[in-house]
Amino acid sequence: MRSPSSLKQEFLKRWMRGLQRCTSSKKDMNVLERKKVIKLSADLAIASARNGTTSWSRALIANASRDNDNRILAERILGPESDILIKRVSTSVGTVSCNRKIRSKKILKRSCNSVRRVRKGTHLPQKVLAKSIAKRLVQKRTQILKRLVPGGEFMDELSLIEETLDYIAYLRAQVDVMRCIASATELINHD
Amino acid sequence: MGDKGKFELENRNEDPINYASSVSDWGFGGANLTNTSIGLVPKVNPMAVSKGGLIGSSSCSSTSMVDAFGPTIWDHHANSENLGFCDNGVQKNASTSDTFGIRKGDPVALRSIDKTFDMVWNPTSSMLKGDIFLTNSHAMLPQRLTPFPADSAFIERAARFSCFNGGNFSDMFNPFAVPESMGLYSGAGGVMQGTQEAFAGSGLKSVSGGQSQKNEPSVGEVSKDVSLSVEHGAAGGSPPKDERSQSHVRSHEESKQRSGGSGNDSDEAELSGAGDQDEPSVLEGAGREPFARGLDSRKRKRNGQDAKLDPAKGAARQSGDCAKDNTEIQQTGDQNPTSTTNRSSGKHGKQGSQASDPPKEEYIHVRARRGQATNSHSLAERVRREKISERMKFLQDLVPGCSKVTGKAVMLDEIINYVQSLQRQVEFLSMKLATVNPRLDFNVEGLLAKDILPSRVATSSTLGFSPDMPMAYPPLHPSQRGLIQAGLPGMGSSSDLLQRTIHSQLTPMAGGFKEPTQLPNVWDDELHNVIQMSYGTSAPSNTQDEDGSLPSGQMKVEL
Repeated sequence: MRSPSSLKQEFLKRWMRGLQRCTSSKKDMNVLERKKVIKLSADLAIASARNGTTSWSRALIANASRDNDNRILAERILGPESDILIKRVSTSVGTVSCNRKIRSKKILKRSCNSVRRVRKGTHLPQKVLAKSIAKRLVQKRTQILKRLVPGGEFMDELSLIEETLDYIAYLRAQVDVMRCIASATELINHD
Repeated sequence: MGDKGKFELENRNEDPINYASSVSDWGFGGANLTNTSIGLVPKVNPMAVSKGGLIGSSSCSSTSMVDAFGPTIWDHHANSENLGFCDNGVQKNASTSDTFGIRKGDPVALRSIDKTFDMVWNPTSSMLKGDIFLTNSHAMLPQRLTPFPADSAFIERAARFSCFNGGNFSDMFNPFAVPESMGLYSGAGGVMQGTQEAFAGSGLKSVSGGQSQKNEPSVGEVSKDVSLSVEHGAAGGSPPKDERSQSHVRSHEESKQRSGGSGNDSDEAELSGAGDQDEPSVLEGAGREPFARGLDSRKRKRNGQDAKLDPAKGAARQSGDCAKDNTEIQQTGDQNPTSTTNRSSGKHGKQGSQASDPPKEEYIHVRARRGQATNSHSLAERVRREKISERMKFLQDLVPGCSKVTGKAVMLDEIINYVQSLQRQVEFLSMKLATVNPRLDFNVEGLLAKDILPSRVATSSTLGFSPDMPMAYPPLHPSQRGLIQAGLPGMGSSSDLLQRTIHSQLTPMAGGFKEPTQLPNVWDDELHNVIQMSYGTSAPSNTQDEDGSLPSGQMKVEL
């Protein structure tokens, strides 16, 4: 059972390790680069902490390794276990792309059905109308959520919600740890 | 105004209608208020009394409105209890008059009434009637109220709901409620079972009353929440055995709830067998299984030859879940086919023990509620919807300010906003760290040694108590203490262990340290000072203790 404290500790450990690994080479970077490195290492830290058990972590790693320039950085950050992780991620990414095909077929079918349904009932009773409106709203928002959560585009509602739960927990851990470090660093610098 | 109010309250001991007129006499803001109060006087007593209750409740709801993200744990608690109580309806009103008789001579309450009366004025809202007691009890200061009347039914209900919600909301105190609460849920499952059974009794009655498919009774939701909690206890990554036992419990609950009082044992057995593999499969995720299996499972739906294909897969799992999935595949049809694909791809094939059975019996047996379509399509659809709503309830606990919200669309909206804000915070913080730290050498040791105490005091106060920060949860403290225990197990000397842990973390970091050798020495001294200061006379073993560990918690809490 992942407790929040161990989550934070794990995250911090990996994050520091990753940062050290990638700063050892380059000596000076501008602010944006640093920010990118920080964020990237944080993302990868938590994603590797999950060890590919959750979809969003896999998607994060996959995204990180997709661009070539990031890939080297990511590999370095992940360290020795990177190849295992990336391999695992790539297999899952394969299924994701296949899911895409199926999903497009579903979308096509669904749109046909909905068109048919709309044509049938010209004047629907209030309740049904309200229901359909609510359904549209929910669908729209689900789409947005899918875009937000990494790797969420190809999941059904149920797993999407679970992924969101996990992702929220991770984001909170990340924010807390980063905030602590930031404030502590500020205090150091002010001394 | 306060004195006058006191006087009038004392006068209207037994006469709620008097109270209503006195309300209009007070001449609170809003012309329509007086009009409506007068108009309501001839109405039933409870209505008039409930106005005053509304006042109290509105004050509480306004406070909860104000700090939406702040320490709203108790507000959530109160509000959810309110929601639970709202369904009790009119019989509560009989006791309201008693409460108001008691609640006299309370000028402070009147002042709050004055403030908030304008904001919430909905005398016909039965919801707020339920709000009266609980918001008063929880959100307002205790000294404002005398205890509730000894309404035995009321107390029993309160006990029941608080028992349930206590289990629920103690978990909310963890910022990462997802993992922790799962464990706590499973632990508290025993407690909740008792309450849930009480609920199930009434819930089943209402279930059999024939609801629409979308609506779920509050009690049903409550029981589902129990099952959800248990289910998520399973989903938390516990070993499969635990998952099975917990999902057994969950499916047991679900079957109890669904069977509509018919008590069909076979149903329950099927469900428990079926629900068995639900959680582990959910955990595995879509990508775990090869895609071919997903395709095959879709084919299975067409052929209905589950038994033949599944042994071919050579899976060691039990049958029910896959069968259930197939039901879903069949039934959901075009609605959400990807869901079934993904889910079935996550499952192993079932054993061929029931190869010869017709497809229907292999599937999960979900009894249709009275008045609902028994079409297998809709049954599976309903199962899916219930699962989704369970997850949404869990999310409600996680996302702040969502306990009052009902309905998927608004919940999703809140979730989206929350995730977006968290992501933005991460961006901002990483930028800040980049600017603050020119060399990206986060000197963790140095941070901990030099700054942990002053910064911890500062950050804990900011993190814990600043209501404007969305992340400022008081629950951070318990998690910090948990940190100590997690990070310093069985410590003999705290400073040594701290050093050891940090060093072990940082050994790969050869490069970026500034003065690595000096710091440990500095740290030792500082730590010793700190320890002596903070511990006082308490022995180091006290650090294991939750309460005693707060001082030492300041050491490690950075992590």
